[in-house]
Amino acid sequence: MSDPAVEVKLEVKQASKEVKESENVAEKYSAMTVSKNSEMNIGDLSSAFSAVPTHKPVKKQIQFVEDKQEFSRFPTKAGRRSLSRSISQSSTDSYGSAASYTDSSDDETSPRDKTQVNSKGSSDFCVKNIKQAEFGRREIEIAEQDMTALISLRKRAQSEKPLAGAKIVGCTHITAQTAVLIETLVALGAQCRWTACNIYSTQNEVAAALSETGVAVFAWKGESEDDFWWCIDRCVNNEGWQPNMILDDGGDLTHWMYKKYPNVFKKIRGIVEESVTGVHRLYQLSKAGKLCVPAMNVNDSVTKQKFDNLYCCRESILDGLKRTTDVMFGGKQVVICGYGEVGKGCCAALKALGSVVSITEIDPICALQACMDGFRVVKLNEVIRQVDVIITCTGNKNVVTRDQLDRMKNGSIVCNMGHSNTEIDVASLRTPELTWERVRSQVDHVIWPDGKRVILLAEGRLLNLSCSTVPTFVLSITATTQALALIELYNAPDGRYKQDVYLLPKKMDEYVASLHLTTFDAHLTELSDDQAKYLGLNKNGPFKPNYYRY
Amino acid sequence: MKKVYSLVNITKAKDQEAVQSICIKQIQFNDQKHEFNKRPANTGRRSLSRSISRSSTDSYSSACSESSEDESSPRDKLQATSKGLSDFCIKNIQQTEFGRREITIAEQEMPALMILRKRAGGEKPLAGAKVMGCTHITPQTAVLMETLSRLGAQCRWAACNIFSTQNAVAAALAEGGISVFAWKGESEDDFWWCIDRCVGAESWQPNMILDDGGDLTHWIQKKYPSIFKKLKGIVEESVTGIYRLYQLSKAGRLCVPAMNVNDSVTKQKFDNLYCCKESVLDGLKRTTDVMFGGKQVVVCGYGEVGKGCCAALKAVGAVVNVTEADPICALQACMDGFRVIKLGEVVRQVDMVITCTGNKNVVGREHMDRMKNGCIVCNMGHSNTEIDLVSLRTAELRWERVRPQVDHVIWPDGRRIVLLAEGRLLNLSCSTVPSFVLSITATTQALALIELYSAPEGRYKQDVYLLPKKMDEYVASLHLPTFDAHLTELTDEQGKYLGISKHGPYKPNYYR
Repeated sequence: MSDPAVEVKLEVKQASKEVKESENVAEKYSAMTVSKNSEMNIGDLSSAFSAVPTHKPVKKQIQFVEDKQEFSRFPTKAGRRSLSRSISQSSTDSYGSAASYTDSSDDETSPRDKTQVNSKGSSDFCVKNIKQAEFGRREIEIAEQDMTALISLRKRAQSEKPLAGAKIVGCTHITAQTAVLIETLVALGAQCRWTACNIYSTQNEVAAALSETGVAVFAWKGESEDDFWWCIDRCVNNEGWQPNMILDDGGDLTHWMYKKYPNVFKKIRGIVEESVTGVHRLYQLSKAGKLCVPAMNVNDSVTKQKFDNLYCCRESILDGLKRTTDVMFGGKQVVICGYGEVGKGCCAALKALGSVVSITEIDPICALQACMDGFRVVKLNEVIRQVDVIITCTGNKNVVTRDQLDRMKNGSIVCNMGHSNTEIDVASLRTPELTWERVRSQVDHVIWPDGKRVILLAEGRLLNLSCSTVPTFVLSITATTQALALIELYNAPDGRYKQDVYLLPKKMDEYVASLHLTTFDAHLTELSDDQAKYLGLNKNGPFKPNYYRY
Repeated sequence: MKKVYSLVNITKAKDQEAVQSICIKQIQFNDQKHEFNKRPANTGRRSLSRSISRSSTDSYSSACSESSEDESSPRDKLQATSKGLSDFCIKNIQQTEFGRREITIAEQEMPALMILRKRAGGEKPLAGAKVMGCTHITPQTAVLMETLSRLGAQCRWAACNIFSTQNAVAAALAEGGISVFAWKGESEDDFWWCIDRCVGAESWQPNMILDDGGDLTHWIQKKYPSIFKKLKGIVEESVTGIYRLYQLSKAGRLCVPAMNVNDSVTKQKFDNLYCCKESVLDGLKRTTDVMFGGKQVVVCGYGEVGKGCCAALKAVGAVVNVTEADPICALQACMDGFRVIKLGEVVRQVDMVITCTGNKNVVGREHMDRMKNGCIVCNMGHSNTEIDLVSLRTAELRWERVRPQVDHVIWPDGRRIVLLAEGRLLNLSCSTVPSFVLSITATTQALALIELYSAPEGRYKQDVYLLPKKMDEYVASLHLPTFDAHLTELTDEQGKYLGISKHGPYKPNYYR
C-alpha cells in the first residue's frame, strides 16, 4: 500500500494472470481481447491504474458471451474443458508460474505464418519465437530442482533406455514442469512430438527451449480454436513418423487421432490420460466397445489424488484467502461445505490457525468423520447469519444460494475450492439492486441496498487456481506418474493389457511415492525376509491390497 | 449416581486386572504348549481375532467381577429364571439385577441401536428369524441381542471367548428370556459344549448366524451340515472369521451367503483410527503416568492405527517420528509433518517406541540393547508379535513387575526399559474401548442381519459380501444425533446434477 509503483505492478500482473484462468472457451475468446488491453498497459505503468476500473465492463462482456454459450459452435467442448481443469488440478499448472511476461514485446503475426529454424537447422516445430529458448531453459532448470523424482528416474533408467523406440505424441499444458517430463521421456529413449491441451496455457519460452533441443512442439499462447486443431494435426501427421504412444490431458488428442487417423490409432501401444474428462471419455469409448488400445488412467492413482486434493488444498486455501483479502484467521467462524479430501484439507489448515470451523455434509460417513475430527456439522441455514467465511468444496451446484447470501453479515467472505464455478449461485447476484464493486483483481464486493457487503472471491471460480499457485512438487507427482505409466504400457508383455482402461498398478504408485521421499530425507524401513513372509508380502511391494483406504 | 458407580468400577477393574493378568499368563502358557494342544488352531486364531477385531474385545476393562463366587461348574447346576425357564447355562442367575444395570448404562452410549429399535420396532423386520450368536457377552452385545429380539428375532447365544463373558450380563439376558450358554473362565471343553447346546435344541433350528471368530460357523458346518445348508445367512465380524469364510468360499464349500461386517468403512475407521487416537494416550497415562510434551516418540507404521497415534501424540506436544515400509504411507507421513526414519537411526535418543505395523519383530533385541534408560516400549498393533519378547527372556536380563501390565526389563548395567502389557495390545490391556465404538459394530451387525434376512431371493448368492454402501451410510447416520450433527439434504436439482440419489449411496464403492 505504501509504495504505489509496487502496487501497480502487482495489479497489472494479477490482472493478466486473472485473464489466464478464464473458465471456459467462450470466456476465453473474449478474454483474449482483454489480455491485449492489459498487456499493452504493462508497458505503461501510469495507465495501469485505469486497467483496474476497465475491468468491470470487460467482465460484463464476458458474462454476456457466457450467456450466449449455448449458441457457440463448440458447446460441449467448453463444458469439458472446464470440468477437466477444475478437477484435475495439477494439470492446470500455468496459472502461477513466472514465465510469459516477456510476451508483450512479441510481434502479432501468427506463428503459423512464420518460418523458424533452431540452431541445429531443424524447423519441425511451430512456436511463438525460437529466440526465447534461453529464457525458457532457465525456467526449466528451476523446475528441475523441485522435480527430483523425474531427475532420479532419468538417472536410474537412463542406461536401460526403457522407452527406446517409443514415439510419443503428447497433448498437455506446455509449461516448465511438463518440459521436465518431456525431456525425461527423451532421456529415456523416446521420440516426442508435443502440442498444447489448452489454447491459453502455453509458456512460449518453454516451447522455444524445447524446440531448440529437438522436440517438435506445436503450441503458443493464445491459439485460436482453429490453431488448436491445426497444432494437434501437425503433431500427429508427420511423414515418416508414426506415433505409438499417446500422452493426453483432456482427451482431445485421443479424439482427433481416433476420428482422423483410425489406422494410426489402431497401432498405438497405449494411451496415458491424466484428466477426469479424458478418463471419462475413454471409459465411454470402452463401454461402446470402440477402444481398440489399452489406456492408463493416471488421474485416479492414490498418490496423485491425495496431492491434488488433500495436500495441495490444505496449503492453497490459506494462501488464496490471504492474497486476496489479508484476512486474519484466528477466531473467525468458518463454514466449509463438504468434507471430502478438499474439505478435509481446508478444515485442517483453518483449524490449525485457530478458526472456529463448522462443516456441512450430505454423506453421513463423511459427516461422522467430521464429528470425530472435532468439527460441528451444521446446515448452512442454521449458522449463515453468524459466519465470517464460507468455503465451498462439495463438487455440487448451488450450495450457497441467493437466499443464503441475503442473510449473511456485513463483510463476510464467500469463496469456492470445489467444482468450477457452479457451487456459489453467482448468477443470482447479477440483479439490478445489487452493486458490484471490484476492489482488487479477483475480489468483488457485492453491495446490498442497505449497504451490506459480501466479499466474493474469484467470482466463485476455483480459489486455488485463481488466487494462489500450484507447487511444482505436486506437478512432479503427476509427471512422474505419467512417465511411469508410459514405461509400463510400452514395456508390458503382450496380453497384460487388453483393450480397456486400467489404473496404474499399485506397485507403480508406490514407486512414484518412493521417488519423492528423498525430498523429505525420509528413510524407508525395509522388511526382512522373515517379516515379509509373515505378512505374506513381497519385500519390494505392493504393500497394500487394491481396496486399501489410505 | 453414575460417578459413584464408576469409582466402584475402577477398584473392581483393578482387581480384575490382577486376576486377568494371571489368567492371561495361563493362556500364554497354553499358547506355548500350542503344538501339543488338541485344538491348536483355536488358540492361535482366538488371539488373532482378539487383536485385530478390536471392538469385539470389550470385556477387559468392564466392570463386573465375580471373585466371591462358588467354584462349581455351571454345567452341573440347575437354575431357572423367575419365569421358570431353564434353557440356559450361566454362572449365577441371581446376578440378574446387577447385569441389568450394566446393560442400561450401555444403552445410553449406544443410541444407534435404540433408534433402530424405535424406527423398525413397528415392522419387526426380523420376525421369524432364529439367530444363533457367538460373540463376547458384554453389556454392549446384550444391547445388540435385545435389539434383535425387539425386531422380532429369537436368539440363542454362546461366548466366542472363554474369558470375556460378564456373568452378570449373561444372567440378565437369561432372565430376559434369551438362551445364553456362557460363563467367565470356561474350559476348552466347556467352550464347545456351550456352542453345541446353543445349536442343538431339538425344537429350534437356527436360520441365521452371527459369529465372531468363525468357531460357531465351523462347528455347525462340521456337525450339523443339514442345518448349515438351510441357513439364510452368516454375519461375521472378525478378521479371522472372514478369512475362514473366504477360504470356505474358495473351496466351493460355502453354501450360504455371508456378510463381512469387519471391512465396512465406518467400522474400520472407528476400530482403528479414532479408537486408537484416544486409547494410546489413555493407555500410556494409566500405566506410566508419563508426560508427553517434548518427548521423542517413534511410531512404527503409518496405517490407520499409526495415523491415530501420531495425531494424538503430536497434539499433546510430543516430537513424533515414523517408520514405514510402504512408500505411499511414508509420503503421507512426510506431508503430515512427521520425520520418516529407520528405527535403528534414532533408537538411542527416543523416549517411547510404539509399534503398529501388523508385522513381527519390528523392535528387536538389537534395538532394545541400544535404548536409553527409561525408554517405554509398547504395542498398538498386531497381537504380541511386534516386539521381540522372546529375545528379552534371557538370563542376563532381569524382569521386574512394577504395576499390573508394566514390567521393567533391567540390563546388567542397570539400564531399564519399560515394557507395557508384555508386548500385547496396549489399548486392550491398559485402556478401555468406548461403548460408542462398539455401538458402530453392533449396529452394523444388526443391519447386516436384517439385510440378509429380508433380501429378496437371489440378491445374495453363496459368497462373502461386503455390507452395501448404503447400509454403511445408514450406520453412520444413526450415530450422528449423538454429536447433534445436522446433515444437509440434497435438493432434487443437486441430486440430478451429481447423478446420485438424494438418499445415497453418496460415493462409489472404491471411494477412499
